[in-house]
Amino acid sequence: MATQIVMDQTGDTRHYFNPDDTEALSKAEERFKLLTTVGFTAAVRDTAGEPIVIRSFDPTAEETVFFPRLVGG
Amino acid sequence: MVMERLTSATRYLWHSLAEGARKVQALRERLRTIEDIQEARGLTLLREWLSVEQQAQFNASKCFDVVGCDSGRRYRIRHGTGTNVHEIDDAGRPVMGWCFVPSGHLVAGDVMLAQKIALETNERAALAVANRFPVQVPGRPHVPRRAY
Repeated sequence: MATQIVMDQTGDTRHYFNPDDTEALSKAEERFKLLTTVGFTAAVRDTAGEPIVIRSFDPTAEETVFFPRLVGG
Repeated sequence: MVMERLTSATRYLWHSLAEGARKVQALRERLRTIEDIQEARGLTLLREWLSVEQQAQFNASKCFDVVGCDSGRRYRIRHGTGTNVHEIDDAGRPVMGWCFVPSGHLVAGDVMLAQKIALETNERAALAVANRFPVQVPGRPHVPRRAY
């Protein structure tokens, strides 16, 4: 199972999907596009655990975290 | 007769008020529980993304250090949801505060994770939106914070 974790006011919302399921993968890609279009940043971890920001949907990513646009505090 | 009715009405009023207060208290406790759960979820996610060293530091002192990917400068992210990022020198002393947060009202764990990812993957962009603020170093005279 792959996961897309979207930070929000509840802590986060998690979307689980089977990457082998074409329809589920397509929905996950749509979600990725939608979130990044509205300003969310998507990040995954490499094999060493270091964060990497991704600009396009990675169907092999086990976990993708989305956080809202950064603003000056 | 009138006195009896008055007494009865007063008793009813007090009973209603007490019942209302109990309900408000129960709601407050429920809300606090929900907030605690949300905070805990944010911290769990943060811990999953911290390196081993950062986890150890966070467990010990509720803060962790990150290295900016562009400049190599070090930043200390403290537990919090704002004005919690300090650039530090080689001795670990704060030299400048950087205030940037993800938009919306996120829990502390989420805010700190977003700050960590931003500094480690796109430091320049994070600092471009950040507001700087002076930090007080022990032994150095306090400089009043500039309003922005």
